[in-house]
Amino acid sequence: MPIQVYSFYIFDRHTECVYSKLWHQPHQQQQQPPLPSSTHTTTAPTSTTTTITTTANTTNGPHHGRHHPVRSAKDQASDDAKLIFGTVFSLRNMVRKLGGEDDAFIAYRTQHYKLHYYETPTNLRFALLTEPAALSMRNVLHQIYINLWVEYVVKNPLAPVEHKGGEGVRNEMFEMGLDKFIRGLM
Amino acid sequence: MEKLRLGVLALIVINKAGGLIYNRTFGEGLNQLNTNDYLVLAGTFHGVHAITARLNPFKGQQYQQHTLSSTGETILSRPEPPSGLEVMESENFRLQCFNTLTGIKFLLFTDTMQANVDVAMRKVYDLYSDYVMKNPFYQLEMPVRCETFDRKLNSYIREINNSR
Repeated sequence: MPIQVYSFYIFDRHTECVYSKLWHQPHQQQQQPPLPSSTHTTTAPTSTTTTITTTANTTNGPHHGRHHPVRSAKDQASDDAKLIFGTVFSLRNMVRKLGGEDDAFIAYRTQHYKLHYYETPTNLRFALLTEPAALSMRNVLHQIYINLWVEYVVKNPLAPVEHKGGEGVRNEMFEMGLDKFIRGLM
Repeated sequence: MEKLRLGVLALIVINKAGGLIYNRTFGEGLNQLNTNDYLVLAGTFHGVHAITARLNPFKGQQYQQHTLSSTGETILSRPEPPSGLEVMESENFRLQCFNTLTGIKFLLFTDTMQANVDVAMRKVYDLYSDYVMKNPFYQLEMPVRCETFDRKLNSYIREINNSR
């Protein structure tokens, strides 16, 4: 059963986000209704709006008539990673408090998405955002850990022990393997 | 000794400011916390709930949603409000959260296999409306101390837990 995967994050034991990847494009500037004060005209959507064109200026182009200050997609992604970490950290602690030390937080779901969580004994944390109807993806995260993280990051003789700023994680083998694996689910 | 985790384990009600207004455990499924821990838990959950609503991957799109009407033209529809955490799963229990339109959160802790939690939640909300909101001495946003509510809730939960 194909499922929609939105994004994937890895946090190291120092709570830093060492890897993140998005599989869907957030469309923030394209589909906004033109504000009355705005002099810009947004391009009229073609026939149906289910076809959404994503252009390169999403990342650092001018923002059309929005009130929020200019923020790059990269900042946005890093903010999201921090929020996700805060969420899973709090929920994990809550679960441990209520369910005992051996309990583990698995997933949570909202109306729009589902977040799957997996933590290794070394406090490496994996978080995967999918569509809300997805079944448990714990084994998927476990597979990513064994087959990709251990194989291509841990066993890489050139990778540092600590992955500060994602160093050593962003290697070609890991990225390709991950992309292929996730696209196989979709 | 393995604890028996069956049926509905606990109910927590959080007011719109994140304060704990009601908590009750049924059976031995969850660790017993002291009052202070419950207050912290309620506050933490309130914050987490707000963040999970913001993390929506389609938040950029929600300002405008188009639907194709029968005549073939696009019409603007009112976007769905972002929803926060609804269900959380752990190895030992499941947490269902129901956020009322007035911002009160009902957290129902059940074992992982419990079915029809939605129905139970609905019933709990009914009991709250009937025996807490209609109690003339109840002050809004304040801790719930209504004997009838306690009694009705207890008997309803016992009914669910015994039917398994």
